[in-house]
Amino acid sequence: MSEKLAIALIAAALPLSVSAAPESYTIDPYHSFVHFEVDHIGGLTRMRGRFDKTAGKFTLDQAAKTGSLDVTVQTTSVTTGDNDKGSRPRSRDEHLRTPDFFNVAEFPTMTFKSTNVVFKSDNPGSIEGNLTLLGVTKPVTLNIERWKCMPHPQSKKDMCGGNATGVVKRSDFGMKFGIPSVGDELALFIGVEGYKE
Amino acid sequence: MQGGVAPFVVGLVVTLLLQSVRLGGLAVVAAFATAVYFVAGFTFSPLTATRKIVLLGLLAPVIGISIDFGFKATRAGAGMLALAAGVVALWIFWPVLLQKEIAQIWLFGGVAAVAVAFMVGFGQMFLADHAVRAGAAGLGAGLGVGVAAILAASATYGLYGIALGAGSGAFLLVQMLRGKPGTAGATFTLPAMLIPGLVAVGAMVLAQLPWYSVLVLALVPVGARLPVPPSARVWQQAMLLSLYTFIIAGIACYLAWHS
Repeated sequence: MSEKLAIALIAAALPLSVSAAPESYTIDPYHSFVHFEVDHIGGLTRMRGRFDKTAGKFTLDQAAKTGSLDVTVQTTSVTTGDNDKGSRPRSRDEHLRTPDFFNVAEFPTMTFKSTNVVFKSDNPGSIEGNLTLLGVTKPVTLNIERWKCMPHPQSKKDMCGGNATGVVKRSDFGMKFGIPSVGDELALFIGVEGYKE
Repeated sequence: MQGGVAPFVVGLVVTLLLQSVRLGGLAVVAAFATAVYFVAGFTFSPLTATRKIVLLGLLAPVIGISIDFGFKATRAGAGMLALAAGVVALWIFWPVLLQKEIAQIWLFGGVAAVAVAFMVGFGQMFLADHAVRAGAAGLGAGLGVGVAAILAASATYGLYGIALGAGSGAFLLVQMLRGKPGTAGATFTLPAMLIPGLVAVGAMVLAQLPWYSVLVLALVPVGARLPVPPSARVWQQAMLLSLYTFIIAGIACYLAWHS
C-alpha cells in the first residue's frame, strides 16, 4: 500500500517538475517586429522605421526565473515607408540600405543574443545581451514593458509575448553618417510573440 | 565642407609644399584622407569593403613613390600594375559578392576587375608622364564618381569621390597658375585612378550604381588623352581636357540618375 502511495505521489509530482523546466518558444515572424526611432534634422522630428523580417527563439523557466533570447533581424528588410523614389534619384529606404547606414549588402543581418534575463516578480523585467550590427558587437539592455503567457484564443497553442525597448548609439557600431543632423541615438522597440515548441 | 572645401585646401597646400621634390601628386591622397577623417574616421575593424578601399587608398601613393623613384616606367610595368589593381578590386568585394546570385557575382566581379584595371593601367601608361592630362583625369574621375555615388544613394562614397576630385583640382590649379606642367608620375596617377575606380565599384556593389555607369566612369581618363591644340597654354589645356572628362563623367551620372 505504501509503495502504491509513493508511486502515486511521484506521478502527481511529475507535471510540476516538467513545468519547471525551461520552455522553448519559436518567434512568430508575422507578429514580431523591431521598430526604431531616430532624431531627424537635429531633433525637429522623430523618424520611425522598422525591419519587416525577424526570426529567432526564446526560452523561459518561470520557476528558476531564467530565460534567454536569440533574435536575428534581416537588415535588408528595413523600411520607413519611403520606398518609392518618385522624381528623386533614390528613396530614403534605398539610402538606409547603403554603407551610409545599414550596409545591407555586406551585413544582411543584425543579431541580439541575451546573456542574462532579470526577472521582476514572476515575469522577465529586462534582458541583458549583445547586439551585433555592422560586424560590431556591443552590450545592450532591453527593458521589458509588458509580458504575458497564455493559450492562443483560436489554436489553443501555448504562447508568450511582450514588448521591450532599448537605446543604442549607432556611432558605437560605426554608423556615423549624418550625425548630428540624423541623431546618434537609436531607440529600439521590439514586439515579440512566440509559440511554445 | 567635408568632401569639397577642406580636401581642396589640404590638396593645395600639399601641392605647393611638395611640388619642388616631385611629390605634388600626393595632393590627391591628402584630400582623400581629409574626407575620410571628417566623414568616417580612420577605423579599420571590422575590415569592411569601404575600410579596405581607405586602406589601399593610403597605400597607393607609397607604391606610386616606389615606382617613380625606383623603377623605369614601362608598358609591361603598367600592365602588371593594372592586373594587380583588378585583383585588388576582387579581393575587396569578394566577401560581399559571394552573398549574391551567381549571375551577379560574374557581372559585378567582372565589371569591378575590368573597370579598376583599365583605369589604373591607362593612367600609368598614358597619363603619368603628362601632369596636366593626369590632373584633368583625376578631376573628372573624382567628381564623376562622387556625383554618381550620391545618385546611387551613397553620400559617403559621394563625399570621397568629390574629395578626390578636389585634390586633383588643386594639383591642376597649381599647374594652371604657374603656367607649366608639374610632375604626376605614379605618385599621383595611381591613387587618382585606383581610388575613384574602387569607390565606383563600391557604389555598384554596396549601393545602387548601375554596372554600365561604372564602365562609363572607367572611360573618363580616356577623355584626358584626347588631343588639345599644341599651342594652347597650360590653363587652356587644363580647361579643355577637364571639359572632355566632364562630358564622359556626365554621361555616367545621367545613366545613374535614370537607372
